[in-house]
Amino acid sequence: MTGARIICTQSLATLVRERTVLLVIALFSLMVLVSAWLGWSATHTVNTIYSDAAAYLTSVGEPVPPNPVSLGSPLAVLRNVTVYVGLIGTFAAIVIGQRLIEGDRRAGVLPLIGARPLSRASFARGKIAALCLSTTAMMITAATVSALTLAVLPGAHVTGAEWGRLAAFFLLAWGYMTLFGLVALGAAARISTMAGGLLAATVLWLAVTFVLPAITGNVNPTAAINPISGLAVAPDTPLFTQLGFWLGPISLSEHFNYLSAGLMGYRPDALAPRGLVAPLACLVAGFIAAGGFAVVSCLTLDPNAGGPDA
Amino acid sequence: MPDQSLALSVRGLTKRYGDTTVLHPLTLDIPDGEVFGFLGHNGAGKTTTIRLLTTLLPPSGGTAEVAGHDLRTDPLGLRGAIGYLPENVRLYDRFTTRENLMFFARLSGLSDAADRVGRTMAFLGIEPLAERRVGTFSKGMRQRVGLAQAILHDPSLLFLDEPTSGLDPMGVRLLRDIIEQLNARGMTIFMNTHLLSEVSRTCSSIAVLAHGKLVFQGQMDAVTERYGDDRALEALYLGVGEQESAA
Repeated sequence: MTGARIICTQSLATLVRERTVLLVIALFSLMVLVSAWLGWSATHTVNTIYSDAAAYLTSVGEPVPPNPVSLGSPLAVLRNVTVYVGLIGTFAAIVIGQRLIEGDRRAGVLPLIGARPLSRASFARGKIAALCLSTTAMMITAATVSALTLAVLPGAHVTGAEWGRLAAFFLLAWGYMTLFGLVALGAAARISTMAGGLLAATVLWLAVTFVLPAITGNVNPTAAINPISGLAVAPDTPLFTQLGFWLGPISLSEHFNYLSAGLMGYRPDALAPRGLVAPLACLVAGFIAAGGFAVVSCLTLDPNAGGPDA
Repeated sequence: MPDQSLALSVRGLTKRYGDTTVLHPLTLDIPDGEVFGFLGHNGAGKTTTIRLLTTLLPPSGGTAEVAGHDLRTDPLGLRGAIGYLPENVRLYDRFTTRENLMFFARLSGLSDAADRVGRTMAFLGIEPLAERRVGTFSKGMRQRVGLAQAILHDPSLLFLDEPTSGLDPMGVRLLRDIIEQLNARGMTIFMNTHLLSEVSRTCSSIAVLAHGKLVFQGQMDAVTERYGDDRALEALYLGVGEQESAA
């Protein structure tokens, strides 16, 4: 077994014994279930009303309009999942990333690991692999629940292309969540106090989720916790234009929401199209930057700082 | 070629933080098979020295050859040849003794990890603790498990940072016996401490560090001979401390 694999295995074993981590992951899984139930319930209600209306219209000899559920993408019933990934999923990834380093630091084992014949690069690879596997497990859970919901939903006929779009969404969501986990892992490695490392990642998460969309795209902060278009006409002022121009590329939450809405088929018509490449490139650049930060922070980690002997 | 008769050879090893020098150029030789006591007051630089020699801190200057491996050019080889027990060993609280030790055995690259862990636990008498979670242990029990992780790969040089700190007299005695047995097997021991009674009973050679400077190094026998009574070590320790303060 390689050094990175040993670190990864041990980190995963530690995570599953951490109550905080389990609680956050359970909350995320619960919200995905709730989201699936909400989608199922809303569609079921519409279908029931439509059936009654169709029966009545048929009895009086009127033409029956098509079922509104069948007009949009069946994936749109899972729109809440995009919100829970952007909020709870990313926060769960932050907790996991932070605990991967902080757990070792609190246990006082960083100096013991540092005094073993293990390179810092192997340590970094092991920790990042543990984070990626954790977020992958969360995404597989969410994807399975979502796919089952679509499979049992009456009237939802999901085509092969739509299954592909659903898979693409979960890949995007995995990247978005893992990005925040990498930031938290790097922050925990760089800042030796427990509160400091968690706070730094959380502040970034708050800024990206709520502040940047408001000052760059005029997105109402409530839009981040509700999958309704919160867009208003952007004020036509030089300051707003400049903020949008310079900070727009790092407004990752906007890019994620825009791409998610496109993949899941609920993007509002009023939303100005941005294309696929630019938002995706910004997210990929953000992921690479977060990964680089995590790697450099693990390579320069001071194993003595913050531990019981500090 | 490294000098195989020396377990440790330090030349001008220094540590600075900005303008503050916490370890002045340190030159030290420790032959194979010694039990070496590294004495000094709190904040003298003992722990910093151990962290430098175990590659946990990068030096600001100087070189060292530890267990035949160069500190700067062969850190992985060095780490494979040493064992390290920090002052406040904690380990993974939610894991059992065996799980903790298996992790460190695998990290040391041991192909027979399970066997080594079993043998080490038997040697230290901690087999009854094997399936118990470390989080429920007393300081003394943790210390023995910590010592187990430090020796399970059979290092040629063992670094102990204040190993008796917080132990009751029984625990101190037990640790002393273990150190003697490890030394009898040929393991060189480098022990940071300020417990003079332990040094006089356990160590074959000593050095004294005061305010980051090495102020004395010699054989334990020579110390006793020079000061001529059973309180020799205390006299030496206090004497060099006062000289250093006066300087």
